[in-house]
Amino acid sequence: MIELKNVCKTYHSKDQEIKAVENVSLTIKDHEIFGIVGYSGAGKSTLIRLINGLEKVDAGEIIIDGEDICKLSERNLRQKRQEIAMIFQHFNLLWSRTVLENIAFPLEIAKVHKEERLAKAREMAIQVGLEDKLNVYPSSLSGGQKQRVAIARALVLNPKILLCDEATSALDPKTTEDILDLLKAINRKYHLTIVMITHQMETVQKICHRLAVMKEGKVVESDTVDNIFTSPSHPVTKELIQTVDTGVDVIKLAKELKNKYPDGHLLRVTFDNENSEKPILFEVAKKVDVPINIVSANIKNTQAGALGVMYIHIEERQDIAMLLEELNKNDVVVEVV
Amino acid sequence: MLEELNYLIEPLYETLFLTFVPLILAVILGALIGTIIFISGDNGILDVEEKSFLKTVHVVFDALVNIFRSVPYLILLIWLLPITRFLVGSTIGTNAAVPSLTLSATPFFARMVVIAFTEVDKGTIEASKALGAGTLDIIFKVLIPESLPALISSIAVTAINLVSYSTMAGAIGAGGLGFEAYQYGLIRQDPPRMLMATGIIIVIVFIIQIVGDVLSKYVDKR
Ligand SMILES: Nc1ncnc2c1ncn2[C@@H]1O[C@H](COP(=O)(O)OP(=O)(O)O)[C@@H](O)[C@H]1O
Ligand SMILES: [Mg+2]
Repeated sequence: MIELKNVCKTYHSKDQEIKAVENVSLTIKDHEIFGIVGYSGAGKSTLIRLINGLEKVDAGEIIIDGEDICKLSERNLRQKRQEIAMIFQHFNLLWSRTVLENIAFPLEIAKVHKEERLAKAREMAIQVGLEDKLNVYPSSLSGGQKQRVAIARALVLNPKILLCDEATSALDPKTTEDILDLLKAINRKYHLTIVMITHQMETVQKICHRLAVMKEGKVVESDTVDNIFTSPSHPVTKELIQTVDTGVDVIKLAKELKNKYPDGHLLRVTFDNENSEKPILFEVAKKVDVPINIVSANIKNTQAGALGVMYIHIEERQDIAMLLEELNKNDVVVEVV
Repeated sequence: MLEELNYLIEPLYETLFLTFVPLILAVILGALIGTIIFISGDNGILDVEEKSFLKTVHVVFDALVNIFRSVPYLILLIWLLPITRFLVGSTIGTNAAVPSLTLSATPFFARMVVIAFTEVDKGTIEASKALGAGTLDIIFKVLIPESLPALISSIAVTAINLVSYSTMAGAIGAGGLGFEAYQYGLIRQDPPRMLMATGIIIVIVFIIQIVGDVLSKYVDKR
């Protein structure tokens, strides 16, 4: 079990303080796949790096199986890290070593005898489906294969915990699927606890049991995946879920629309269950007499009611101040893109 | 015909001696100093409480390397005369040039080591730490193997510098092909002899460069 209690981490740069992780408390149970989602800069990587001590906490406790890792000496922490493996977005393999040698690397550090470590590494390579790539160098592998090497390398010491920092973010959808399946299988087979960081809600939906949503260093919501997907409470969560339901990345969509409609006003209107039933948008548009053009819309019915994001475009010459005011009056969340 | 070239054997031997003996010493010392500068820098490889001590070490070694790298070789040669007398028992001759040549090549190679290590992917170093690697593991299993192509090229460049500096060591009677060329070309006005010596220097430089390039490419699996 991993328990985070009021964990804080602040970075000090020349002219400012960045509260990367602020007062985070979480409990991650044994053998579960726990997701941590949030947009870029939310503090996810910092949080996960605190769990294996690559970064030191400023305040708070990180208790892994009853032991506060913040209190360990460097030597003991290194020992402990052999139980907490990690994989990364960019794989971080050693290009100077073959696949087999890469997988054997942690065993080498743990001073395992050469024959034994090569045998173990070979066994692990087979587990991840790389038996025919043992003696090639990483540079000749595809992204998915590189991540498989990284996974084998992470698992070769039989860790209890696997930390994944955006492990599928650099991969195409098909490969992502394969890697997620592999992680799921590993979780079952080795009873591993997996902590999975991602900015893609889809990934979480596919394999996680529980998840936490982070924003600006804080955990804003944490529950089972089912509960969060059926009744998200925080706006960030809603926005992230929207991405999954429509299959489009909200940020990417906004960028594309902006390119398509460089002039005029582009607005993002977010509805939730309270106001999606009524024709608010049209009533308001009529009232203030501004012609609107719906350029993209996605409404999804969840158990908690309708949830939707709509992009509307308005000609340059129109005054949108009144429109914004009226929409706000009706509790519709509207942003200028 | 070949016998006429006998006079070049002695200077050739001297040049090779003045290149490779200081090279070996400079590679060992430079690698050590470069590694100290790199790991004491701000990259999180060393996890120590005493950050200020680390910083002092870094600043001092960095400054020493910069100072000795900017002193012209001939000046270094003169500065070092008393120490040379103590180390090799004489201030003239081939052996007497070794300390100053080593001292000039060491900071240069140290700087090249720092540059090579800096280019190693930070993610790889972090991953190694996450897998339980300690400082020595990172140096010997990550930094050196991952930067080997650059290190080999640096050794070749350092060797070529030494060929060139060894010429100046002729000033304290160290001999060598460069001094041969200088003596016969300028003082005795014997162009063929001068050209011959110069030609051999060029060949040596080419061989070092080619061997360096081939080896560097061979170990590069990127
Ligand atoms: N080593 C560091 N020094 C200074 N600021 C940092 C450092 N690492 C992360 N940050 C800052 O902390 C915040 C959170 O970063 P990060 O944990 O990488 O977010 P995420 O992984 O969610 O994208 C960001 O604002 C980032 O700029
Ligand atoms: Mg990150």
